[in-house]
Amino acid sequence: MLSLSHRFVSDTLFWITRKKWLIISFFLSIILFYLPSPEGLTSEGHRTLIIVLTTLILIISESIPLPAVAILILIMQVILGVDTPDGVASSFMSDAVFFIMGSLMLAISIVHQGLDKRLALGIINISGNKTWRIVLGFVAVSAILASFIGEHTVGAMMLPVALSLIRNAGLKTDKATKLSTLLLFSIAYGCAIGSIGTPSGGGRNVIMIGYLSEFGLGDISYLKWMKYAYPMLLIEIPVAALILWFTFTPKQKIMDSAVRKLKVSVAKTGKLTGDQMMAIVVFFLVFLGWIFLSPLIGLGIVALTGVFLYLTFGLIEWKEIAHNTNWGVILLFGAAISLGIHMKETGAALWVAEKALGFLEILFQDISIVRWFFSVVLSGILTNLLSNAATVAVLGPIILDMGGNPVILGIATTIASAFSYLTIVASPTCMIIHSTGLVTSKDYLKAGWKLFLISIVLLFLVSFFYWPLLK
Amino acid sequence: MKILIAVSSQEYSGSTLSVGMQVARAFNASTTIVDVGKKISEFSTKVVGMAQERMESWDFDRPGVDVLEWAFEYLAEKEFIERTDIEAGFPKNTLVHTGGNRLEVYLKGTVCEDVNLILRNGEIIPELRDEVKNHGYDVTIIGGSKKRNMAHDLVQYINSSIFVVNEFNPDQTYRILLAVDDSPGTKKAIKYGVRIAQAFNIGVDIMTVSTTDHFGDDYRNAAEWAAKLLRRSGIEYQNSFQKGNPSEIITQAAGDDHIIVMGSSTRSPLKKFFTGSKPLKVLKHCQCPTLIVQ
Repeated sequence: MLSLSHRFVSDTLFWITRKKWLIISFFLSIILFYLPSPEGLTSEGHRTLIIVLTTLILIISESIPLPAVAILILIMQVILGVDTPDGVASSFMSDAVFFIMGSLMLAISIVHQGLDKRLALGIINISGNKTWRIVLGFVAVSAILASFIGEHTVGAMMLPVALSLIRNAGLKTDKATKLSTLLLFSIAYGCAIGSIGTPSGGGRNVIMIGYLSEFGLGDISYLKWMKYAYPMLLIEIPVAALILWFTFTPKQKIMDSAVRKLKVSVAKTGKLTGDQMMAIVVFFLVFLGWIFLSPLIGLGIVALTGVFLYLTFGLIEWKEIAHNTNWGVILLFGAAISLGIHMKETGAALWVAEKALGFLEILFQDISIVRWFFSVVLSGILTNLLSNAATVAVLGPIILDMGGNPVILGIATTIASAFSYLTIVASPTCMIIHSTGLVTSKDYLKAGWKLFLISIVLLFLVSFFYWPLLK
Repeated sequence: MKILIAVSSQEYSGSTLSVGMQVARAFNASTTIVDVGKKISEFSTKVVGMAQERMESWDFDRPGVDVLEWAFEYLAEKEFIERTDIEAGFPKNTLVHTGGNRLEVYLKGTVCEDVNLILRNGEIIPELRDEVKNHGYDVTIIGGSKKRNMAHDLVQYINSSIFVVNEFNPDQTYRILLAVDDSPGTKKAIKYGVRIAQAFNIGVDIMTVSTTDHFGDDYRNAAEWAAKLLRRSGIEYQNSFQKGNPSEIITQAAGDDHIIVMGSSTRSPLKKFFTGSKPLKVLKHCQCPTLIVQ
């Protein structure tokens, strides 16, 4: 009996230590709930902000599973009277969520085809055997591919290519070297840089486009987004390659035998199979659909059409998709977007925006540039702590309420959410390279802070000198 | 009897594995060797899984398999597993998912019962706790760690005896420091101490520490019982009674040339959590391997 009660106390203690942030956020939200609403904030807005705070704490601390956070957001929205159950349900599903779901499924279908060997051949055919050119090739190919098919997909496909080069160079793939760090970061940073290039590069781009049109601030087509964002991507490729090269300069300046061995091993795989060809054609159709049809039927529906085609042509089995789709993430982004919409509707976003502006106005006279820096830096920092899509979903409505040109501010914030260079949890690609055990969290900071600062400067130049010309 | 040995890499876990397998041999225990790999953020679990699938198609092992492979080679070299298994080499292909983030390889043991190799992903304490809870181990063996709170969390949350192979030096001749007192767990600690002394073929220092000059009957009985057991097993031993702060005296007497064996605290988990316990203090400050018997 005694040991039973000891066991119970021990289990409870363990639960409490593991869930301390859940408990803290619970009590914090109760205290905030009973505080009077601040001036200028509606009581719905007040309650919405409580949910935002709880969500941020729970996502960063990872004290409960992500799908549980998602469900909690929905429950709290109804229980705290922010909206009716039907209202919450309809804000939960949107074309942006369709898009996130569709693009995750497209990613699975593409990765499944085993095109990575071909990709490897493509890269080394262009780059040759000089290490610096291979690094530039890795960054460029990762960025350009990621801009169209999404960063997750490219990260998963490029990883074996990098590891294979490392192995063929005669290095161990379970021991970190400058070369392994360099090649892995070329993938992670390349994918991050690329993810802003087109709307389909990352779910957050579509979330921002969704907010802009939902709030009646502007319609951004696939090509228009590219016009804004692609130049930034192209400038960043050489910059990232340079920074990486000088931070992790490897001993091997030429990788002659590694490249040759890789070519030999890849050549064995033979020609493109019919399925692979078909997979590429379907993706190309989806890409055309995004450009030409998305204004009519939405980016999400186009992505889902692609999934439909992959499934009906038997290029992927549903079992595979169901197993590899991160349903928790889809739920979370749906809930985060719902929360974002309610931040706007209840006036919570406006209130936070005005408070932030009021604070900045005390410090600075000209607010337009400061406002830009505030949005971009905050987005850049949050993305390294949360995830980039969650950052945009929560930050988006506030930024769009800060005045100025919402399109410029919105796109700049979204681009800054790709500056996920600093931590392991910043993006799935950062996690992919970390999972090899070859890079440590210190490595992320080593090259990351330089690229982070330079990216902000570049984004500043692009948004104040190039974007105004686009009107 | 079931033993869990937690390893992390060839570099750091060599002595943990070798000491662990000697203990397993002493108890003829069914043994599981676990490598707890990196925690994958929930945002990325699926995509990391896909990347690993791709890696396998290029003939790369998933992270952690290299650690198991090293453990396998060690087991093969010392003939801890059956010859048929050894000849077949490390059976990567038989790594099976056994729920959640747990992968397992079964091997047939020789000197001890079955040997299993498993791979888990996540934070070390929750993963070990889960493993012990669901698979019922009697002893968990783990290397020393400089991580803050590690000793505390092990003692507090892992529901088995704990053997921390802290700063083990294979060239050093060790003795067992068997700390006994009047607690109900002391008998089991004595039995374990005797078994390990036999297995390693080393002498034992029995130590009874009291905070006062007076040693109660229970203290003396425990020490005598230990002496009797050691005498019968033909193990060389010394008996000593000391006055003072038990954890300080034990730590000091142990130095770096003893393996401390002591019973776990019978305090309530709540008290242990806030004020600690003797075994915890010893574990935190000692510079030698320590077994806390539960």
